[in-house]
Amino acid sequence: MSAAIVAAAESDKIGYIEEGTTALNLHIEAIRNVCAEAGISPAEIEGIFATNHSNMLAEYLGIHPKYIDTTSVGGCSFQMHVHHAMAAINAGIIDIAVVSHGEAGWSARKNQGKGTLRGGGGDPWLPSAQFGGDLYGSWGAPSAYAHALTRHMHQWGSTKEDFANIAVATREWAGLNPRAVMYRKSGEGGLPELPEGDAGGGEKGHPFGGPITVQDVLDSRMIVWPLNLLDICLVTDHGGAVLIASAEKARSFRTPPVWIAGAGESQSHADMLEMGDFTATSAAASSETAYRMAGMGPSDMEMAMIYDSFTVTAGITAEMLGLTPRGEGPSLWANGNASPGGKFPVNTNGGGLSFSHSGMYGMMLLVEAYRQLSGTAEDGIHGIEGKQTDAQSAIVNGTGGLLSVTGTLVLTADV
Amino acid sequence: MVATDEKGAGMADYNKPIPSPDPYVTQPFWDGAKEGKLMLPRCTTCNKVHWYPRILCPFCHSSSIEWFEASGEGFIHTYAVQNRAFGGWADETPYATAYIDLKEGDRMFTALRGVDAENPESIKIGAKVKIEFDEASEDVFVPYWRVVD
Repeated sequence: MSAAIVAAAESDKIGYIEEGTTALNLHIEAIRNVCAEAGISPAEIEGIFATNHSNMLAEYLGIHPKYIDTTSVGGCSFQMHVHHAMAAINAGIIDIAVVSHGEAGWSARKNQGKGTLRGGGGDPWLPSAQFGGDLYGSWGAPSAYAHALTRHMHQWGSTKEDFANIAVATREWAGLNPRAVMYRKSGEGGLPELPEGDAGGGEKGHPFGGPITVQDVLDSRMIVWPLNLLDICLVTDHGGAVLIASAEKARSFRTPPVWIAGAGESQSHADMLEMGDFTATSAAASSETAYRMAGMGPSDMEMAMIYDSFTVTAGITAEMLGLTPRGEGPSLWANGNASPGGKFPVNTNGGGLSFSHSGMYGMMLLVEAYRQLSGTAEDGIHGIEGKQTDAQSAIVNGTGGLLSVTGTLVLTADV
Repeated sequence: MVATDEKGAGMADYNKPIPSPDPYVTQPFWDGAKEGKLMLPRCTTCNKVHWYPRILCPFCHSSSIEWFEASGEGFIHTYAVQNRAFGGWADETPYATAYIDLKEGDRMFTALRGVDAENPESIKIGAKVKIEFDEASEDVFVPYWRVVD
């Protein structure tokens, strides 16, 4: 028994969408587009997987699925959705599932928080509310993740330069992706400087876009020491969707299958208050499960898509996936190893750091991994020459919450 | 020097988020805080201290939990310096936040006092800290940790 990702697509527009949009529209555009690419009707979807809103998405689409999953544990939710869809397919319950993502991280500002599909405030009696970050002026992910980088440097002797190089190598990939927010610097190549308040992106260019150096990262604004601005991911609008199908159906679509050879998930905590080792995540456990299911190991992987909410997230995860020794995660990116033309391509779309990151980046990992392994990473829209690698296998790892939860997939090309 | 380094604010001055004590589980901690004492939960089966307070020990899953007065001492496990803030914290940037390894075991989160947040590298992991409490409202005293090394 097995299952495959059989198509992947995005919303009509991604990144900084000038006229604004809503999370719901991004979901629906992506689902419509992925069905069109695969050559099916949304009515053929039997299972629907999304963070929280699956029931409402199905209603909007006018479909009546027989499997509904609302797993919502942050940016890794989409790796877990694939895992769950695979399980539902292998249990014989469904043959075709959609995993959908829509998030208006950028437009939320323009629209004063409306159109985000976000719920109300939290429960003030939760332990994290009584004793956690909010009381002490720790604001969201950057404030929290910075504590992990401080500890990694202390415990393993790593440096800010080591981690900054991850942003530099990832930016090189963004230079091959015209849809990446950081594709080029505004004002270069005859492009006009952007008007005030327009953050630009993609072919328009971005004030901080184009190639960068380690020194550029270190010189960028200090947001939360030790994290500088260019250590931190973007906040964009993005919709994405993938279709998952049973082995029996996998070759019956207009688009080719990419096989789910292994899948795993785990967690170490929910609030950072309960993070035991600040230099480790549950990706050690979730990848062990995925590798075992695949009958493969780190040395069998030919590329990686690693959640890079921050340089520290990517660096630590490389260690957890067995791609580097403990304490040496950033070395995966050293000496051009993970850059275009390098031996082990990583984050070939330009990453959450330089491509697009709407808040929960896991779907973007899936879409790019599908494109790379199906040979569609250079189709004139999503990449230019050099972006397509010859990788036949990929390790894909999502990290959610505050380095809390992970989902890992081992994907292989159809041969 | 940033305001977090001053002696605890009086009730009228406290402009940071004020927690809502949960009367079912955490009240002994907040009762202790009003008296300047750090009360911690400890499992009477495995004898381990856990933080945050629970109705079940996360180490051995016993439900026999007792509260005791702890030393109020700990050590910096890791920290960060916040340069961007909102509400009552906005006036105090930069300030350091930290996870504190409690002398009796497990870990708390705090905003650090007695450090120079303008120089993040001057703050030392492992530095000894002591607890103090700010009167945030009549019923709620918020714990902070101060470097005493």
